[in-house]
Amino acid sequence: MHRPAPAAATPRQRAGLFGRIADNERWLWRLMLAPAILYIVLLVGFPFLLSLYYSFSDAIVASREMNFVGLENFRRVLDSVTFWVALKNTIFITVVSQVLVLVFANALAMALLVDFPGKWLVRFLILLPWVAPISLGSVGWLWIFDSIYSIINWTMREAHLLGPGQWPIWLGTPELAMASIITVQVWRMLPLATVIILAGLSSIPQDIHDAAAVDGAGFWRHMFQITLPLVMPVALIAVLFGIVFVFTDLIAVFVLTRGGPYDTTQVLASWAYFIGIQGGDLAGGAAVSLFLFPVLVAVAIVFLRMARRAELT
Amino acid sequence: MDTPLFRPGGATRRDLIKTAAGAGLVAVAGPLARPRPAHAAKKTLKILQWSHFVPAYDKWFNTQYTKEWGDKNDTDVVVDNINLGLIPSRAAAEVSAQRGHDLVMFLSPPSVYEQQVVDMKEVYDECAKKHGTPIDLAVKSTYNPKTKKYFAFSDSYVPDPINYRSDLWDDIGMKPDSWDDIRVGGKKIKDKTGIPVGVGLSAELDTAMAMRAIMYSFGSHEQDAEGNLTINSPATLEALKFVAALFKETETPEVLAWDPSSNNRQILAGRSSLVLNAISVTRAAENDKMPIHEKIALAKAAKGPVRRIGLEHVMDCYVIWKFSENIDGAKKFLVDYIDNFKQGFMASEFYNFPCFAKTVPDLAQVISKDAKAVPPNKYAVLSDVLDWATNVGYPGYSNAAIDETFNTWVINTMFAKAATGADTPENALKAAETAMKAIWAKWRDRNLI
Repeated sequence: MHRPAPAAATPRQRAGLFGRIADNERWLWRLMLAPAILYIVLLVGFPFLLSLYYSFSDAIVASREMNFVGLENFRRVLDSVTFWVALKNTIFITVVSQVLVLVFANALAMALLVDFPGKWLVRFLILLPWVAPISLGSVGWLWIFDSIYSIINWTMREAHLLGPGQWPIWLGTPELAMASIITVQVWRMLPLATVIILAGLSSIPQDIHDAAAVDGAGFWRHMFQITLPLVMPVALIAVLFGIVFVFTDLIAVFVLTRGGPYDTTQVLASWAYFIGIQGGDLAGGAAVSLFLFPVLVAVAIVFLRMARRAELT
Repeated sequence: MDTPLFRPGGATRRDLIKTAAGAGLVAVAGPLARPRPAHAAKKTLKILQWSHFVPAYDKWFNTQYTKEWGDKNDTDVVVDNINLGLIPSRAAAEVSAQRGHDLVMFLSPPSVYEQQVVDMKEVYDECAKKHGTPIDLAVKSTYNPKTKKYFAFSDSYVPDPINYRSDLWDDIGMKPDSWDDIRVGGKKIKDKTGIPVGVGLSAELDTAMAMRAIMYSFGSHEQDAEGNLTINSPATLEALKFVAALFKETETPEVLAWDPSSNNRQILAGRSSLVLNAISVTRAAENDKMPIHEKIALAKAAKGPVRRIGLEHVMDCYVIWKFSENIDGAKKFLVDYIDNFKQGFMASEFYNFPCFAKTVPDLAQVISKDAKAVPPNKYAVLSDVLDWATNVGYPGYSNAAIDETFNTWVINTMFAKAATGADTPENALKAAETAMKAIWAKWRDRNLI
């Protein structure tokens, strides 16, 4: 069979080749998925394997030589008091912030479901924290919690909520510092959760609400027996996102407290950074950060299963 | 079922894919496209350093000195200034990528990078020929006696005097000459005015310096002159107990949230009676015409039970990576910079002190008559700074173990725990010793200490 030489192909024929690919259902989805897979392999898969490799070595930040040391780094990490504090803090911050996010996001989403003047502006303002870089937002919060210029303290003083000599040091007291970090995490994750839940609420068919109203369901019954069960699958996805983002976040702690006062707000991500990058112990930092992985995998599996079950019922 | 390939009045799927593919190509290839250099033969020297606390220095260095040096040496000098807290991560990224800047300036001795940097002996020797031997502080901060290598080059250091409110201290009839004075006087001022002492107890640079100043003045050290771990000593325990008392009697929890700019902010806002800081405090106030600058006086490092000693506030340490593309240019830049150091000293408004003392032979006279200071001899107290300032790691050299201990805030955390009562001084010391033993063992295994 005669085939024209490639060099002789006309623009029309080249367009035909492109067209054939564009119209090929079998290959097109693979082609379109390829950049995303490449991205994940290069920017997630490769660093993950690298940190796995580092964690079994004696890698330091300033050398390319490394030797296999088995589980030595993990043994050192487990022996460290700071590690256990960081693990406890990571779980505590994640759980508390996500419970708060779930409550606030539901309330906000329901409020945004109703039509009112200026709704677009409110939606825009709620989305802002999600759009702004976390580092920029955290620096803003640093000033809000500043020991001298804290707008919270000045407002409370003007409102006579603070007595003479009362002046909370937000980032200098362990309990307040923890509350400050949770506040920033809630502020950061609330927009995404709100949008996801809002989408879930919008997808509930109106006739279900109408039928419930006809059957005489009150607000709470409506809420707990209709709205929440139907919105649960997407709400679980919102929480899963929240858990992953908060569990692995370094910026809020790094900018606000650097793990202080005296390690009481240290989290695994910040501790891994301090050991691995600031301290130069790349292997130790990798070992700490790897503790995040099994926890997140387990949480993801549980939540995705729960979301699936909630969907089926 | 066939997918419709054409929507009346809309774009086809082919159009959509074409557009997406085109945009993707531009996004991927765009950053890779570089403009062709105007002069292919012209060299480039890339410098990474902090955003100086005295902005006038950056202005002089970036827009005047490096431009003039570049013109004379047919080199494009690119200076990148970043926040001081980001230097470690940037350096780590450059080493990991094996590319980056030709000269990187750290603010404390970067001993852990020894295997990645070129030996600076040649630069020191060249400068010593012209300007005499470097000060001991510079050598102790950049030389590893174990490997006999200069892993960095220090052009300058920053004195770390006591900055105190002379009006408040005069009011109680005291001067902050010793740590005992600071504890007693600080309490009197706090009781009388509510204004506390501001010596940091947080995970940051200034706290790291302040706590070591107290330790060394109490006769406590992380290591001995040979580099052996000596943190567990009665002197350290005494220093811990002292800091606990200092915190309870003279400070507030604000110091637990300290960051590198807190000293400046607190005392300039009238919220501290005393801080340990470089002269950027008074310089900022003078330049911004804040009346409080007239009430802030400087004093030498405080005397402890064993000696009067403090640290440098910042130790400028330049390194040249082994993978630098312009090693010779970087070395020449440093040598020439020392030749012209007096300009840097003046541009920094006396913030950067010379590591080659002869480059500013009239230092004592210059700082004793300053046009902005009130009184004009405010900075004269710094003229004998080398008698009371030492390096991190005193009485030994600053080495990789000292560097890791410093940057993971082991000492800071130990003091903060003991001061707040979160742990007993004994337990806080024990925890720090355990962490430091692991650090020392690791670097011994690598033959760097």
